[in-house]
Amino acid sequence: MKQKTTAFFKDEFNDLDEKGYTWTIRRLEGPSKPHVTVDGKKCIMLASNNYLNLANHPNLRKAAIEAVEKYGAAAGSDWSIAGTMDVHQELFDRIAEFKNTESAVTFQTGFAVNAGVIPQLAGKGDILISDELNHGSIIDGVRLTKADRAIYGHSNMGELEKVLKEASKKEYRRAIVITDGVFSMDGDIAKMDEIYNLAHEYGALTYVDDAHGEGVLGNGYGIGKEFDLEKEIDFQMGTFSKGFGGFGGMFAGSEYTVKYAWNTARSWLLSAAFPPHVAAVNLAAMDVVEKEPERVKKLWDNAKYFKKEIESLGFDTGYSQTPIIPAIVGDSKKAQTLANMMYDEGIFALAIVFPMVARDKARIRNQMNAGMTREDLDTILRVYEKLGKKLDLI
Amino acid sequence: MKIGFIVNPIAGMGGRVGLKGTDGVYDEAVNLGAQPISSEKALIAIKTLIDDYPEVLDDIKWISCAGSMGKNSLINAGINEEKIHVAYASDSFDAGKTSTKDTVKACKHFVDEDVDLLVFCGGDGTARDIVSMVKKNVPILGIPSGVKMHSGVFAVTAHAAGPMIARFVKGELRTGDAEIMDLDETLYRKGSWKVRLYDTAIAINEPTYVQVGKASFAQINDDEIKNDITDHIEEELDNHSDTLYLFGSGGTIDYIANKLSIENTILGIDAIYKKKNIGKDVNEQQLLTLMDSYDNIKVILSPIGAQGFIFGRGNLQLSPKIIRKIGIDNIIVVSTPSKLKATPVLRVDTGDEALDKMFVDYEMMLVVIGYRMSRVVHITSI
Ligand SMILES: Cc1ncc(COP(=O)(O)O)c(C=O)c1O
Repeated sequence: MKQKTTAFFKDEFNDLDEKGYTWTIRRLEGPSKPHVTVDGKKCIMLASNNYLNLANHPNLRKAAIEAVEKYGAAAGSDWSIAGTMDVHQELFDRIAEFKNTESAVTFQTGFAVNAGVIPQLAGKGDILISDELNHGSIIDGVRLTKADRAIYGHSNMGELEKVLKEASKKEYRRAIVITDGVFSMDGDIAKMDEIYNLAHEYGALTYVDDAHGEGVLGNGYGIGKEFDLEKEIDFQMGTFSKGFGGFGGMFAGSEYTVKYAWNTARSWLLSAAFPPHVAAVNLAAMDVVEKEPERVKKLWDNAKYFKKEIESLGFDTGYSQTPIIPAIVGDSKKAQTLANMMYDEGIFALAIVFPMVARDKARIRNQMNAGMTREDLDTILRVYEKLGKKLDLI
Repeated sequence: MKIGFIVNPIAGMGGRVGLKGTDGVYDEAVNLGAQPISSEKALIAIKTLIDDYPEVLDDIKWISCAGSMGKNSLINAGINEEKIHVAYASDSFDAGKTSTKDTVKACKHFVDEDVDLLVFCGGDGTARDIVSMVKKNVPILGIPSGVKMHSGVFAVTAHAAGPMIARFVKGELRTGDAEIMDLDETLYRKGSWKVRLYDTAIAINEPTYVQVGKASFAQINDDEIKNDITDHIEEELDNHSDTLYLFGSGGTIDYIANKLSIENTILGIDAIYKKKNIGKDVNEQQLLTLMDSYDNIKVILSPIGAQGFIFGRGNLQLSPKIIRKIGIDNIIVVSTPSKLKATPVLRVDTGDEALDKMFVDYEMMLVVIGYRMSRVVHITSI
């Protein structure tokens, strides 16, 4: 043991920094909404997951305040021991109703669901079948299992069928197909009907990560509703931290699936319940999605308009089918430069570069928001036009 | 960084006039009207490097050969003469007739000069000559310019070689095993066109990334992945102790065998039973005899060469008869992800059309890319 200090992390950090792999934290001054102040600069927000503009909704704020008054600031314990309050239980039941499943439970975050539950669903003698572009939390969950793992090309149903066919020749106890519902880099939607049909045909189960589908697909109810597969998808995970404007992960399915999940997932058993006001906010969020259906409609109207207009400027939006609309610029350096120049023009957007996406597919990821006006979108488009010409992109 | 740079000035000349190579048939090629093409390909590669990656030029010291064996192409592309050190000159250029001997001698000088990368312009024959000298001591990159380019050391095009050089200089690429393939001359003289595995070399390739932070990625080196694949294979062997395993050829399989302390022939087929080598470098007949004594037989293969062949290149011992006997379900294909990236489809050329068609109809195979980890890869014939 030669290393006695942490000094070498300075070198490791600098190495990461040189490669461009470090984050500069941009600080929001005030709530997350379409118009924000970021590091002192007024910007239009294109990088948040707050699709329905609920994070600062009066009902959600009110729910939080009232819950703090009633339950205090924290849960005080792990979920499993003494941290689950009646407001949490109310939330579990409401999720099951909302998602039209038998049962549901919450976790600290969506990440904690994927990383904690997936390893419990399959072990030696099972096989997990995963789309190559699944979210990092799924990849981590899959890595932690002792099951066999097979990867199919992104949304490639021929390849998925091949894996299922090969798997059915072996004596696997169970096979589970795992997919993101909406893929967060390209904004495309999983072919959930085909995935389900194939899985069903070969006797496999299905697991879907609905993080970017909640509040967006199926009139806000998510991917299950969108494809009319609410009861058929065996494992549904999601998060309140995106379209719902709240916080925390969820897991839904049949009664025993859910019971089994929270009784075995270490990220649930050995970690504190999220604060009671978070549960109250999440409850309020689902109510708003149901009571104000115009929000989901506005989100999609914005997405359709923006996609059409940015394409007519000459930008490639790739495979986008949702309010995640990339503007593909190619080279990583150019994407980063464009994001920086956009910030100077008062648009806050995220550049996604290699190796998160292919070397020639670096992009700006534009995330639509139901709170954006036509004027906001036109402002953004004008900036794209100006900078796109300046950087020779269009 | 020192880059050895050599052009085989006569490479590729035979192709346009219908010869299967230029090795040993230079005069015939010239009589048939062949024109030199390799210096032009070398020029394209180096010009791309200069135009698109000017920032790396200062970091490169070129170790090359006089005249048409290297220096001319560098100068014509616009490399500053001060950056070029001529390490070898041959008397045979004037006639335009350099030979295998020249390539080998030049490479000896490159090794003595301790080059970090050897860039050559030529085909499979040139690659073979180079590797016979440099072995696995220097990574090599081929600018494709030959008639035959089955080896796994070539850039996809002459243009693509430029960025690969630049990215290697910047430290963005890694090194990994590659096979050196060439026409089997003995068989060719008997009238059959078969490509054989001659050697393994070190090539440069795109590293495999794993996401560690949201935007931070770690490159995993190929050995780490090969260790994972080894663990997978070891478990396979342990779980099926009544099965005879045939270990295919190439660097990946050899790595696995070495890790498991199983004797193995890198360029041949070995028969393994209960983790012991019971048949070294066996030929078809020996294989058939051996296979008669075992009920369960599986074969472990890794795609070979630039085109991703699993049968028909480098393992002709695995004849159609043997492949049929083993059965498609008992074929285990392993590969590092970086190698798969370079050869995104698997191919077969068993010489038996019906058998090839069976693989083509199979469409895809699951390739083992880690411990209990596989991915779908398409399969086709030539
Ligand atoms: C597809 C997907 N799954 C899961 C998560 C994690 O959700 P949470 O933020 O609740 O941890 C995210 C968020 O980045 C996501 O994009």
